[in-house]
Amino acid sequence: MPPALFSKVLIANRSEIAVRVIHACRTLGIKSVAVYSEADRDSKHTRLADESVGIGPPPPRESYLVIDKIIAAARETGCQAIHPGYGFLAENADFAEGCQKEGLTFIGPTPESMRLMGNKIASRVKMAKAGVPLIPGMTASADDLKSFQQAAEKTGFPVMVKAAAGGGGKGMRTVEKESQLEDAIEAARREALNAFGDDTIYLEKLISNPRHIEFQILADNHGHCVHLFERECSIQRRHQKIIEETPSTALDDDLRRKMGETAVNVARAAGYTNAGTVEFLLDSNGKFYFLEMNTRIQVEHPITEMVTGVDLVIEQFRIAAGEKLSPHLNRLTQRGHAIECRLYAEDGDNNFMPATGKLHYYREPAGPGIRVDSGVTTGTELTIDYDPIMSKLIVHAPDRNSAITKMTNALIEYHILGVRTSKRFMIEVLNHPEFIAGKTYTNFIERHMTAYKADSERLESSAAAVATAVALQASKSMSVMNSDIQSDIPTPWQTLGAWQIGDAIVDQA
Amino acid sequence: MIRHEFKVGERLIECSAERKGEIVQVEVDGRIFQVRSLGDNQYAVTTGDATLKAAAVTVDGKTYVEINSVLIELTEPGEDVATSVGGDHDTEPDKVYAPMPGKVVKLLVVVGDVVEPNQPAVIVEAMKMENPVMVRAKGVVRSVNFAVGDQVDTDSPIIELDLDKE
Repeated sequence: MPPALFSKVLIANRSEIAVRVIHACRTLGIKSVAVYSEADRDSKHTRLADESVGIGPPPPRESYLVIDKIIAAARETGCQAIHPGYGFLAENADFAEGCQKEGLTFIGPTPESMRLMGNKIASRVKMAKAGVPLIPGMTASADDLKSFQQAAEKTGFPVMVKAAAGGGGKGMRTVEKESQLEDAIEAARREALNAFGDDTIYLEKLISNPRHIEFQILADNHGHCVHLFERECSIQRRHQKIIEETPSTALDDDLRRKMGETAVNVARAAGYTNAGTVEFLLDSNGKFYFLEMNTRIQVEHPITEMVTGVDLVIEQFRIAAGEKLSPHLNRLTQRGHAIECRLYAEDGDNNFMPATGKLHYYREPAGPGIRVDSGVTTGTELTIDYDPIMSKLIVHAPDRNSAITKMTNALIEYHILGVRTSKRFMIEVLNHPEFIAGKTYTNFIERHMTAYKADSERLESSAAAVATAVALQASKSMSVMNSDIQSDIPTPWQTLGAWQIGDAIVDQA
Repeated sequence: MIRHEFKVGERLIECSAERKGEIVQVEVDGRIFQVRSLGDNQYAVTTGDATLKAAAVTVDGKTYVEINSVLIELTEPGEDVATSVGGDHDTEPDKVYAPMPGKVVKLLVVVGDVVEPNQPAVIVEAMKMENPVMVRAKGVVRSVNFAVGDQVDTDSPIIELDLDKE
């Protein structure tokens, strides 16, 4: 067996992505170290790792976001490298730098490319210079309302006010007309300050009816860069992705090639290394625009893995260890169709507010082409401290319609009792005629699903019938237990009284 | 014949059941259901000629049933019906509660304001997202009980109204 790329790696994350990275470590023969807050003491990722280090109370800013604690944990356990996962410190250039200073390999891009692409304004300017098509809008921030008004006049309404330090759909506001601009700017600043600690904002034209298409990138430290095709991420709610798929029904081979080449250009212009994702918006005229680059492994990476057969996390380790990209990455094709559904703990009946509670019963679906990346199990307690994502359900099938059927059945078989999930909602989306027709735009849910409400009233009587049967079963097993103790016919064990075999037992002390 | 009562939200459901070999036959609201245990907390429930599959578990007097991919929670009558989003305040239209624990980031009304149903009254931030909370009735703001920056839970009213007398 070839020597391991690293002997020990710390995973600076939790839940399903920590589990994912631990699995990659296992395959590569690398020892894994997990970190856990007090809320995650009994979590799956803590259990699965070879070693684990406690890093403080549940709130992320007292645990998973504390750079000093993470680096200390890596040093005290003798790690060579740290994998940041996604979210938390994954796109924190100070953290990447801190690792470098401590002689720890950061499994991700350089701090410089993170800083560049993490600043949406700076990256726009750089990409404009590289000839990458951009969404019309501001290429510098401003403090005065007038600048925003002028920019909006130039691009025309509607516009989008966005955080420069932003991402993940936060710190954004749509503005339909001039009178709403001031409030939107204030709200976006506030959300941006809270979420990213930086209230710098700018303005872009709002592309109408766009599709969100992103390209996976891998780049090594030797100047090689490839793309691993696209992911279609248009099913979103409040700018959070819910369902992703690949290939995208919107791309033909020609457009795919053009966008893929542009994605590689973006990565090269940014001096990017390791795994990353270039996001585009595709308008209804087949024109695409650079949106932003995500300098991390992404939540939806599994669908790319299913159609290309590439393990992206393993490639991340390889690149970080200084290896060249394997030549076969130049000859990839997309095989079949993959769909991912994110299982969130949220109440589909209550505006999808995050739900908390304990998973009293949890059963994952399984079968050919079914993959579950999960950080939870029976008994897991979901709290408000973290993102409500529980797991990702991914299916792979020879074609899109088969994938939709397979995903629907996998969702039906995925049993989670104890918290509300968006399971039923996703089944409805997948089987909506517009989804089946491939007409997935970022406003899909707004357009087609606002009238959605789970038809629970009709099912309440059936549920009550089941609950009664459960109660009966419980009382039946209780009465079986009781009857053992209070049998009508006394057993010899009860009538014989005290007795023993053989001689009296003598204390042999 | 065994009787059992369940509460789903505000609705009280009465069931009468008897065991018929492997099947439990339950009458609910005049309809007959045949329920068969499939093992591993799974059940098949048949009514007429339609059969649905369900998964169910009872914990601490609360039964969770997932049927047709919809989760339904049943409690013993008399038990508090706590929904996953912190309490059911539908019976208090004159009060505005946070839908989940969070922080007040903006107050959109002051004492004395006249408000309409569905008018946003306060913005509560939780899990790094801002959630506007709406007033549910017509009236005048009588009191604002929290300030910007305060942590709120789901049980203390943030805003109280004097309702319009219709």
